[in-house]
Amino acid sequence: MRSLHVEGTGWLYRLSPRIKLAGLALFSIALFLTRDPLLLFATVLMAGLVLWQAHLGFRETVARLRPVLLTIAIIAAFSFLLISALDATIALFRLTALTLLATAITASVSISQFMDEITFALRPLEKLGLAKGADVGLAVGLVVRFVPEVINRYETLRDAHRARGMKVRLHTILVPLIIMTLKDADAIADAIDARGFRGQTSSPDI
Amino acid sequence: MKTRDLVLISLFSAIIIALGLLPPLPLGFIPVPITAQSLGVMLAGVVLGAKRGTLTVLLTILIAAIGLPVLSGGRGGLSIFYTPTTGYLIGWIAAAFTTGYLSERLVNRDQSPLTQGFGFFLASVAGGVIVLYAFGITYLGFATGIGFSKAFVGSMAFIPGDVLKAVLAALAGRAVMAGYPLLPQRA
Repeated sequence: MRSLHVEGTGWLYRLSPRIKLAGLALFSIALFLTRDPLLLFATVLMAGLVLWQAHLGFRETVARLRPVLLTIAIIAAFSFLLISALDATIALFRLTALTLLATAITASVSISQFMDEITFALRPLEKLGLAKGADVGLAVGLVVRFVPEVINRYETLRDAHRARGMKVRLHTILVPLIIMTLKDADAIADAIDARGFRGQTSSPDI
Repeated sequence: MKTRDLVLISLFSAIIIALGLLPPLPLGFIPVPITAQSLGVMLAGVVLGAKRGTLTVLLTILIAAIGLPVLSGGRGGLSIFYTPTTGYLIGWIAAAFTTGYLSERLVNRDQSPLTQGFGFFLASVAGGVIVLYAFGITYLGFATGIGFSKAFVGSMAFIPGDVLKAVLAALAGRAVMAGYPLLPQRA
């Protein structure tokens, strides 16, 4: 699985990830404070400029924006029919500006930087004993490791269907896929504990 | 949290992500292929229960947010929080919790298979349709400015498909309960 992060050198990449994420959050709140279409159009241009600074290249930028902008375009088309043109334009500009800026931030923050920020954000919860930042990192790592495994299993099941002349149906493939995958949990959990990844001793529940 | 629960949550999150990456599969009794990712959310509640199911969905959204293109159609990154349909994504969390909570209360191992299946179906509809659409429609109406009632009418078209997914989640949930029960051992 390829991350959406790219290596880059511009000012956008040098800026601290915490500032970028906080900036995006503030930007998303600020956009809902104004209803001036001109001002909102200016924010779209500004977000576009930031995205251009991510130096993704034209083709890559379009490929990344397509799925989200398609949803926005379809819903914008409907809202022009349903509500006044001014309201529809305001909504369209807001969502487009946010999409552009979010895409730029995503490209410029690496997975490990994100994990550091999540661990930082979890610190208050960790002090209360409600969550462990290290567990989140471990879980993300496990998921990235096991998605290809699940897809392999799906392909095995699909071949098994074909070998028996059955059509591949969701309801016949889902149950064996889930049971086969989850049955590994005990072995994986034992392997994690045996290596002491979670820093616990022999007591099983911490 | 036990390591085993952490692993179960991660594995199920991998299943939800894989369901979004696989080509859409036909259901068997209807010709239209469906994307199965929202089915995975109901399944998380049905198979793992409220706490682990909710954490599974949270983990999946987190992985999408930090820039891995794991949502169906290859979507990912922070922009997933800024589309008109973001309410449905946030609704996944409440949907998995509701489905899981009701599954824990409505279904136990001593019931007949039919009762179990029906209990799972009710839980999946309550979480994966009613609660999910409550979030999705409210946000859609708010973000686009079209208002609640118009967003409600516009979303109606997708409900039959999601009810079918609830049927599928119930069948699968029952089969997993029979083959590898996890729901009774609550996290």
